[in-house]
Amino acid sequence: MTVSSLPILSIVTFLPLAGAIAIAFVPRGRPDLVRWVALGTAGLTWIFSLFLLLGFIPGREAAGGFQFVEQADWIPAFGIQYKLGVDGLSLVLVVLTTTLTWISILASFRSITERVKEYMVSFLILEVGMIGVFLSLDLFLFYIFWEVVLVPMYLIIGIWGGPNRIYATIKFVLYTLVGSLLMLVAILATGFAYSAGHGGQWLGAFDFLSLRQYAGTAGFSDTLQLFAFAAFFLAFAIKVPMFPFHTWLPDAHVEAPTAGSVILAGVLLKLGGYGFIRLALPLSPDAARTYGPAIIVLSLIAIIYGAIVALVQPDLKKLVAYSSVSHMGFVTLGIFIFQEQGLDGAILQMVNHGLITGALFLLVGIIYERTHDRTIAKMGGLSSATPVYAAAFGFFAFASAGLPGLAGFVGEFLVLVGSWAYSPPVAAIASLVMVLGAAYLLWMFQRLFTGELSDFLRGLGHHLTDMNPIEAMTLVPLGTMIVVFGLFPGLVLDLVSGTVHSVLSGVDGATAVHLSLGR
Amino acid sequence: MTSADLVTAAPLVAAILVAAAIIVTDIIVPGRPGPALAVAFGGLAIVALLVVTTGQTRAAAFGGAYAVDPLTTFLDLLFISIVALTILFAPDYLEPRDLPIAEFAAVLVFAMTGAMLLAAGTDLLVLFLGLELMVLPGYLLAAYAKRDALSTEGAIKYFLLGSFSSAILLFGLAFVWGMTGTTKVAAVTAHLAALVAGTAPLSPGLAMGLAFMTTGVAFKIAAVPFHYWTPDAYQGSPTPVTGYLSVGPKIGAFALILRLFVGALDPLKADWFIVVAILAATTMTLGNLVALTQNNVKRMLAYSSIAHTGYMLVGLAAYAGGRIEGLEGLLYYGAAYTFMNLGAFAVVAAVQRRPGVTSQLDTFAGLIRREPALAWLMTLFMLSLVGIPPTAGFFAKFSVILPAVQAGGWLTVLAVIAMLNAAAAAFYYLRVVVYMFMRESTTETQPLRHSPLVWTGLLATTILTIGLGLFYSPVFQVVTDAARALS
Repeated sequence: MTVSSLPILSIVTFLPLAGAIAIAFVPRGRPDLVRWVALGTAGLTWIFSLFLLLGFIPGREAAGGFQFVEQADWIPAFGIQYKLGVDGLSLVLVVLTTTLTWISILASFRSITERVKEYMVSFLILEVGMIGVFLSLDLFLFYIFWEVVLVPMYLIIGIWGGPNRIYATIKFVLYTLVGSLLMLVAILATGFAYSAGHGGQWLGAFDFLSLRQYAGTAGFSDTLQLFAFAAFFLAFAIKVPMFPFHTWLPDAHVEAPTAGSVILAGVLLKLGGYGFIRLALPLSPDAARTYGPAIIVLSLIAIIYGAIVALVQPDLKKLVAYSSVSHMGFVTLGIFIFQEQGLDGAILQMVNHGLITGALFLLVGIIYERTHDRTIAKMGGLSSATPVYAAAFGFFAFASAGLPGLAGFVGEFLVLVGSWAYSPPVAAIASLVMVLGAAYLLWMFQRLFTGELSDFLRGLGHHLTDMNPIEAMTLVPLGTMIVVFGLFPGLVLDLVSGTVHSVLSGVDGATAVHLSLGR
Repeated sequence: MTSADLVTAAPLVAAILVAAAIIVTDIIVPGRPGPALAVAFGGLAIVALLVVTTGQTRAAAFGGAYAVDPLTTFLDLLFISIVALTILFAPDYLEPRDLPIAEFAAVLVFAMTGAMLLAAGTDLLVLFLGLELMVLPGYLLAAYAKRDALSTEGAIKYFLLGSFSSAILLFGLAFVWGMTGTTKVAAVTAHLAALVAGTAPLSPGLAMGLAFMTTGVAFKIAAVPFHYWTPDAYQGSPTPVTGYLSVGPKIGAFALILRLFVGALDPLKADWFIVVAILAATTMTLGNLVALTQNNVKRMLAYSSIAHTGYMLVGLAAYAGGRIEGLEGLLYYGAAYTFMNLGAFAVVAAVQRRPGVTSQLDTFAGLIRREPALAWLMTLFMLSLVGIPPTAGFFAKFSVILPAVQAGGWLTVLAVIAMLNAAAAAFYYLRVVVYMFMRESTTETQPLRHSPLVWTGLLATTILTIGLGLFYSPVFQVVTDAARALS
């Protein structure tokens, strides 16, 4: 293919920015033009990311497993580069991002009527940040994209969100910033340790590949690893979010507009999982071993706690938000058992959760647009009034509950298999949640769709319509992928196997270390 | 004094002449600010040109009391930009309030000469002279709205504490002179180096001198706990003046620190290191904590300017901890802070164009609907002040944090404290964004017309706020040269 001669990664990353700039020049009072330009840009980005998928050759170990690498000096004084590259893991997540972005933009066509221009600009810049995080091979660049994600999401929740949006968005920003600024210190400390280990040379000090190699050979000192890992952990755990750093999530989800929730659950939470796999484990493997058991305990708490709290939520969107906490617990559990099935499962779970929860938020948005209410208790009997909607909801709810044959099952199953090898009690506790998950989803489904049409819904009269074609169009691709990945999880697993092996081989040689005070 | 001395000091002489020319122009064409402003901008351009030309070669003049090196050039250019930007922003605010514009420009240029003298001073007395020359016009500017009670009150506080701290500083300088017998920076350094090399403990006289000087400059840069004058002086002053006060005298005072502490007192680094580190930690933490509770944007920016002083001190502490990069960070931070903060104040001033409009947060509610351009620019400046990449503010934080991390030990803890502070600061900076974008205006007001001068200035600050970040490498090279000039 000649794709490799183009700077295709830069194109995928910055195409949305070009779209955002174009939108900024669209005169006021043409919201439809703005919408179509945004959708077109996102669609084009998606197509380019698919080219990437076609051109990617799994298992090629050149350039440390990364392909399409682009490299240019940026701040040579500190060895900071503009370096992008893609491996199986980042490829999967980039395609997930580009897919969910155009779906989200399509889903916002009707629901966003105020300040469409600013909304679409925010969304496209958000996409730049998300793709950039997944593609950066320079830690400094990674950090920059990481922060770029923050601002548009802040605006999306704060301007187009629900009644309590300002509280929610500030909470979201502050939580994320605390983690990420400490991560910056950790990145700088790591870079400096590398340069100190190379006679003060800054060259390669922020380059992921050389850092990973250094971590695998000479290795960073125990003290640095323990502190750097703690900072990375905080940043990523807040994003995932892990118990007890999850409290921003329900607020942000409930207040965010539908498309914001989709991206938040679909991609932003994955930034945390991605960070663990990409940075935290390879750079401080010993510290990862040290903290591993504690993180497994936190993951288990998140899995169970999220499910129990979801069970009692009166608000539909909050229920889905808490189920995210539970599902993402599987991701961190799968990562920190340091075991092949576990990591495979964690990555699959990230993808599947993005698809399924994204779809569930879209479905919640669809009913909210008709009823302007999300209280589960007010609903009932929807299956007679809106049969298509009910069927779609049922499909995605079952996928979320982990019905075999659909995508949600495979990821969680692999994590359970892996954790059984790690420790049977852990697996036993985690599988308990399969039951709880089925419980809250089925109970929700029952309350929403079965029985007589509730008085509240009857009062809406002809406003209560079934799904329209645009809404269906946003759900069909997600549903298709859920079925395909459920039947052929190998599609994802083959892509990421190189990443999984390289990450695990780094951690395998590591041993838990203890902090020795004094220098 | 020889003619060579005059050539070396040409930018300074030119600056004084520009100030005089502005006044003369105003006398010849009274009542119209246009010609005076033209003279001001033309004159500043000439001064900048002279600074760049004389800066090509290192030189000393007046028997070693005045030096031209890359640091002088860098600081001079920074001061010229500060004054030029302030003059761009001011007319829009002063005119509706019937405050004279030409005098404003002249006073600012006079202040600039003081700052330039500070940047070039290599003699304790010259440094003191430069400092006074810089701050005296500042008192005048703070009281510029002389019929406004708040302005007068702020100015009096500023004047009293300013004079008081100058006296303390002078007292400290006297001690140093008494102990070393010279006022030349190079000679003081040599003397102190010999003293330290002989491992003689710091004599009580020198210790007193050090303590007084530290207190004096801490007042000038508004480090906690010597910051009390700032909020009142800042809130009372006319908004463009506040913008100037938050950067001009601050950078000037840092120039003093560079020449005095990093230059003359370098051998005593180990003695002032810990003080600077503690000052940095308290300054940023307290500045931020108090800024959190402010409902007035001007006052919020005043307290946050205290916090930024703290971040800059982190760079100084890292230098004292053995990392020359700390100075580079300090200088870069100074430049970045200058442009983003002046930009923020320019927006506040523009919003307050109509007399009687306060700088309360409520004034900013719904600004995105009334004046979208201003709202977006303010957002950029706020994000930069928070330190969100890829703005200059982020790279500024990076430049001071990296040396602190490199120095290791307690300085890494200081870096962590700085980052936690930055996260807390996000709350109050973003609150302005919340008001502009997410709240509806309580009063219906028509969009205001702003003069092209304001837009020019905003364009410049915007380009610099983004450009200093994106083109970090070349800027950093300039800063590096400037910092290495000292050692």
